[in-house]
Amino acid sequence: MLTKTSPEIGGMGHPIKRKEDLRFIQGKGNYIDDVQLPGMVYGHMVRSPYAHARITAIRTEEAKKLPGVLAVITGEDLAKANLAWMPTLFHDKQMVLATGKVLFQSQEVAFVVAEDRYTAADAAELVEVDYEELPVLVDPHKAQDTDAPILRDDREEKSNLIFHWEVGDRAATEQQMKSAPVTALVKAFFPRCHPAPLETCGCVIDFNSATGKLTAWITSQAPHAHRTVFALVAGLPEQNIRVISPDIGGGFGNKVPVYPGYVCAAVAALTIGRPVKWIETRSENLQSTGFARDYHMEAELAADKDGRVSALRVKTLADHGAFNAAAQPTKFPAGLFSVCTGSYDFSQAFCEVDGVYTNKAPGGIAYRCSFRVTEAAYLIERAMDVLAQELKLDPAELRRRNFIPPEKFPYPSPLGWSYDSGNYQGALDLALEKIGYNELRKEQAERRERGELMGIGISSFTEIVGAGPSHTFDILGLKMFDSAELRVHPTGKAIMRMGTKSQGQGHETTYAQIVAQELGIPANDVAIEEGDTDTAPYGLGTYASRSTPTSGAAAALAARKVREKARKIAAHLLEVSEEDLEWEPGKFSVKGAPGKSKTIQEIAFAAYTNFPQGMEPGLEAVHYYDPPNLTFPFGTYIAVVDIDKGTGEVKVRRFVAIDDCGNIINPMIVEGQVHGGLTEGMAIAFMQEISYDESGNVQGGTFMDYLVPTAVETPSWETGNTCTPSPHHPFGAKGVGESPNVGSPAAFVNAVVDALSHLGVKHIDMPLSPWKIWQILKEKGVTQ
Amino acid sequence: MAIKIEKSFQAPEAAAEVWKILSDPRSVASCVPGAQVTEAVDDRTYKGVIKVKLGPTVTDYKGEAHIERRDDQNRIIEMIGKGQDVRGKGSASMKMTGTVRELPAGGSEVVTISELNVVGILAQMGNRMIQEVANQMFEQFTKNLRQRLQQQASGAAVSGAPEEVKPIDAGSVAASAVLGLFKSKPKE
Amino acid sequence: MTSKRAVDITVKVNGKERSAAVEPRLLLVHFIRESLALTGTHIGRDTTNCGACTVLLDGRAVKSCTLFAVQADGRELRTIEGVGNTSALHPLQEGFKEKHGLQCGFCTPGMIMSACALLEKKPHPTEEDIRWGISGNLCRCTGYQNIVKAVQYAAEKMSASTPQA
Repeated sequence: MLTKTSPEIGGMGHPIKRKEDLRFIQGKGNYIDDVQLPGMVYGHMVRSPYAHARITAIRTEEAKKLPGVLAVITGEDLAKANLAWMPTLFHDKQMVLATGKVLFQSQEVAFVVAEDRYTAADAAELVEVDYEELPVLVDPHKAQDTDAPILRDDREEKSNLIFHWEVGDRAATEQQMKSAPVTALVKAFFPRCHPAPLETCGCVIDFNSATGKLTAWITSQAPHAHRTVFALVAGLPEQNIRVISPDIGGGFGNKVPVYPGYVCAAVAALTIGRPVKWIETRSENLQSTGFARDYHMEAELAADKDGRVSALRVKTLADHGAFNAAAQPTKFPAGLFSVCTGSYDFSQAFCEVDGVYTNKAPGGIAYRCSFRVTEAAYLIERAMDVLAQELKLDPAELRRRNFIPPEKFPYPSPLGWSYDSGNYQGALDLALEKIGYNELRKEQAERRERGELMGIGISSFTEIVGAGPSHTFDILGLKMFDSAELRVHPTGKAIMRMGTKSQGQGHETTYAQIVAQELGIPANDVAIEEGDTDTAPYGLGTYASRSTPTSGAAAALAARKVREKARKIAAHLLEVSEEDLEWEPGKFSVKGAPGKSKTIQEIAFAAYTNFPQGMEPGLEAVHYYDPPNLTFPFGTYIAVVDIDKGTGEVKVRRFVAIDDCGNIINPMIVEGQVHGGLTEGMAIAFMQEISYDESGNVQGGTFMDYLVPTAVETPSWETGNTCTPSPHHPFGAKGVGESPNVGSPAAFVNAVVDALSHLGVKHIDMPLSPWKIWQILKEKGVTQ
Repeated sequence: MAIKIEKSFQAPEAAAEVWKILSDPRSVASCVPGAQVTEAVDDRTYKGVIKVKLGPTVTDYKGEAHIERRDDQNRIIEMIGKGQDVRGKGSASMKMTGTVRELPAGGSEVVTISELNVVGILAQMGNRMIQEVANQMFEQFTKNLRQRLQQQASGAAVSGAPEEVKPIDAGSVAASAVLGLFKSKPKE
Repeated sequence: MTSKRAVDITVKVNGKERSAAVEPRLLLVHFIRESLALTGTHIGRDTTNCGACTVLLDGRAVKSCTLFAVQADGRELRTIEGVGNTSALHPLQEGFKEKHGLQCGFCTPGMIMSACALLEKKPHPTEEDIRWGISGNLCRCTGYQNIVKAVQYAAEKMSASTPQA
């Protein structure tokens, strides 16, 4: 079990205030748009208005004539340097600037560079492009019709099908389905949404021709991966590329891919010889960068009359847009979607996913969901509620009957995962107690009598994060380990550099707390650095809740290596043998003689001034951590909603979130993460969708239509924890950043359906806008 | 984005007079704000340009209009027009059916039913904005047509040049779009 | 950014007079960030929806992305840089740190400016007052709960000390 350190040391479990806050509250953060270099110029993207069209001509003379314009780059220009296309993070390729044709509205067509951003925008207006419209494909269900337009003529296989993926035992599952006394079916669509971080994507790229070094400041959640991709795509030697991720204003997965804007800015910097800044606008961010979800799912459950589930069959159609730019581990084209058996003990399961191209923005990135886990959790939690409704069972009771019991861990799921640990019943019980479930059910019955609409929705999700073990996981071939490099200074302070990159998760504080826990050096004495590929050890970045499971583990193990060396130095200083020493956070003491001790600070000083003969001086360690497995955080969320019969508006009255992420580093930060994720989940459930009309025009391409909740719509969240450590993680932690986004949409939808279930409503697709709800109320004859 | 627009108005002039203008694409073009016929390919096909100003943004569409059906007896004309923005910002296509009928008390009524499809940046603004732009354009068209009818009736020289392009006031479009939200509409 | 049509403006920024020649169409937020090199005010880059660029103009919270620099001529401008610093943090800044009212920090300067304006008008705001007061500022990270607590912390601290903030 974890030793508790003192508040002065601030190890695990202490809610110490964040060290990074000081610069942010003064407006002294260093975000990408704050980066100013002498001679810097600005880039602006010209984009396609058409979803599918052939480019017959691009005229740039007018734009080039404008005073202050330095370059106008088109796809043809890039093609000469073999840069018109670039690899995506999922073994597909993507156009940097369109050549031949455009495949989605807002696709990048030309890049204008000028002395200032206003001139660049003016010049972009002057670029003339002739298009020949082509038939548009926006319905993924039609992508494989015989008369569907083939979108990707660059591919050998002339088809819109990207992949077909299956896992599980089809035959055995079918068998169970056929013989089961009860089956329940749900068709659930998870709409296309977008992470929409407050800061959009951007870069400043500078090439020093005298040194041959390319320095790229990029809003990147994975700077090392970006550096390697740049090296491969630009043909520049990797040691001459430096990627710096500055402070990032929110990522949520949106800042993982390499975007055409970065490549264009790099090309411009190389050809013009001046630093080039490119920052996209909000509409560009919403309409062309990595979207999320867009999964058309179908789940069928087989169960007995008591609700004991036996089999799960899932079929999904994945809409990837024009290019498969999903950031996903190679072996998993549908990410970790196969965790869709959730928290329940199924004996058989089968899951298949078809991915298709459409004329929409490319992607399918992980938006705060660890590679499609949100879709999976949503599906199974909705399916369980549908089953509960079929059997007229209380949804909490149904779940109770089907949870994987604690003694079955590590649990081999029928779709191939080994869940590390879980106590689903514990989380459910705590949530039910906290919300006062039984009283709420009574209240609901009373309100129903009066014709009022109140609903309670439960989501008992299990997540899978911390990708991932090298035997199964890689992105573009890069294995998904992560790293930490720790160096202790003579005065007992330390610096640690990591392969991850925070976009608000508080790494500067939490990683320091890990060192504090392992070495007893106060967290405030440990500086944390991330994001500069010249100095940070190689890592795959921060997304999919992987930092604590991978880099955090690396940090602990590096610290332990340091502690082992410290023990040797302490033994030398105290003139005893190592076995005679015992450790408490911050010092080694001689067993039986507590007065004889050396603090870690004294030991650090000795590492430079008084180390044993033959020992390598200094006190540092590097560790690259290859996780043996993923971790499985879980929880139960319960939402209570009231529906206004006159307007269809849903008010979230209460929301209790019980999360279990194993051992917690900083409870204050965990709570903040949960608040944020729940707010995003609520937005997705009620107010967000990026949709396309039949001509491929984006609807929901600005904040006027793609709604982000303000402080007024957002309720107060009630949070709590249970603690079931991960047995294979160095300090039993699991990762938590995404759980709230993964588990909450189902809680909201389940609550609304529950409010209307007595009227015969079984399922409603998100977003649950007032208009949609009101139409259902009207149809059922219960509007005011 | 496909939008259906139905508009009608009445004029004091006789149906035959109105039909003279409505059946001639050049005359129609001269009444549409910002439009100009540039070439007559044959007696049914015309090339032209139309400039749509919405506040500070200007879209220049270049395209073609084709008369699908022209019934002089019943005074029905069916036209299909398609244009692309010259700078590549989008396209618009429209199918319009126009009828002129004699009113029993004198004068005539013009009824137009149009189906408009917009692709591109403008379409992102949504149905309502486009509807309002179309409404405003039609209002200006009606005004111009009335003027032209009067000129024709009085025998005054009809100006061949198109009307000066008056930018559509973005503020009033926005205002009417918002006001439209509160007007009860029987159907979308 | 030179232009034939440059206009001379003088603005009192965080207590100091600053003059410059600007293009009429230069947005106030660009003037602040580039001409004045005060990068604490951020751009969320959209149609006035997010509030990251909030500053106080003559004491009123305004979105500087939707004003022209010339509109600030002869007026008083207060940005996050004028609120407090490491040696003397404003109670709001303290509150945000104490109550974990920020994660990525991008919305924070705008939030603090809006909260400043709110507390001027309502020194003892209710939770609802606060939520409405910052409803023009979007945050994607925190879910607003701790931001509300931060503002409450500041309100308490400010009314406990002298009535003048």
